[in-house]
Amino acid sequence: MNCCRINDIYDYIEGSLPPGRRQDMEGHLEACPKCRRAVEERKLISGAAAALPPLEVPADFTDRVMRRIAPVKAKLPVWLIILASLSSLVALGSVALIASGRSLMGIALGASHSFWEYAKSAAVLTAKAATLLSLAGKIIQSLLESAAKGLSLANSLVSPWLQVVILGLMTALIISLAFAARKKISLGD
Amino acid sequence: MNEDQDQALVRRTLRGDKKAFEMIVRKYQQPLLNYVGRMVGERELALDFTQDVFIRAYGSLRSFEPRYKFSTWLFKIASNLVIDHWRKKKLPTYSLSGKWGEDGENLTLDVPDDEPAVSRKFELAEFGHRIESALEKLPGPLRELFVWRHVNELSYEEMAEIKDLPLGTIKNRVFQAKEMLRRILLEMP
Repeated sequence: MNCCRINDIYDYIEGSLPPGRRQDMEGHLEACPKCRRAVEERKLISGAAAALPPLEVPADFTDRVMRRIAPVKAKLPVWLIILASLSSLVALGSVALIASGRSLMGIALGASHSFWEYAKSAAVLTAKAATLLSLAGKIIQSLLESAAKGLSLANSLVSPWLQVVILGLMTALIISLAFAARKKISLGD
Repeated sequence: MNEDQDQALVRRTLRGDKKAFEMIVRKYQQPLLNYVGRMVGERELALDFTQDVFIRAYGSLRSFEPRYKFSTWLFKIASNLVIDHWRKKKLPTYSLSGKWGEDGENLTLDVPDDEPAVSRKFELAEFGHRIESALEKLPGPLRELFVWRHVNELSYEEMAEIKDLPLGTIKNRVFQAKEMLRRILLEMP
């Protein structure tokens, strides 16, 4: 065998050379003082590095760390949360039941009666609202019809030029009203 | 470092048991300080960083995936803090997967005939102190691997998991770090 390669020496020291190559190397080391010295040299450095003293940890180090940390919010399982909520609900219901001095059946009957009354009132209200809406619709329809008749009558009586003048005057009036309102708002009145 | 025990402590901490996290701190404060201290050099800064590792770990404990080793997760947090520190101080943070100078090339060469010996240069008693000084001169990323391997006694698999690099790359870089350290020791006055 030729002289050892550096990486084989490290593998040899760490015991990671395959058995066959390890045997070859050991045979060579017996015969080659140069490689033997190279192995010893590297063993010495590795050994000295492994024997480096630990750095001193202050006695209160752990306490210092623990003072700086906030407690972790413990995550409860979902089933436990549901169970706890249901238990609280049952407990609250029981307290209310005892405080009312009524039986469970009585409360159940009372609740169903109230619910029926609410349902009846809601149905009457809905019917009244529908009637009012249809009445309002009829009024708006008749108003629009009257306005349309008035406009067509005015159209037949007034000449087109006069219509243009009236429209212009009305537009000017609306614009000036808008400006006046804006000015008033900007002045903060 | 017993992994099952760690996982149990993590579960207890997540259920709100602060004592369990205190046990984690007590267990890992020494190895983490041994690592961080040799990475940042200053003792007070190293203590602050080690505290920060635990604070960060506590804050993100829910994101810890139990399929990984808890100790490697802690070292990963520590490594990220150290790299941030190097970046802020504008210290070089080379990629471990890139090319790394002549020491890497020498790994596949035979032992040279005229190899000088560190063992003849220093007394055995001063070797530890010399190695500490030489470590400071080792480029950060290589120093990190050297410390993990020889001081923290992490396996190559654990280091590969922390750095998210192939096992072969990590192993090669560790050997290279050792050769570079040896060269630094030889060049020391």
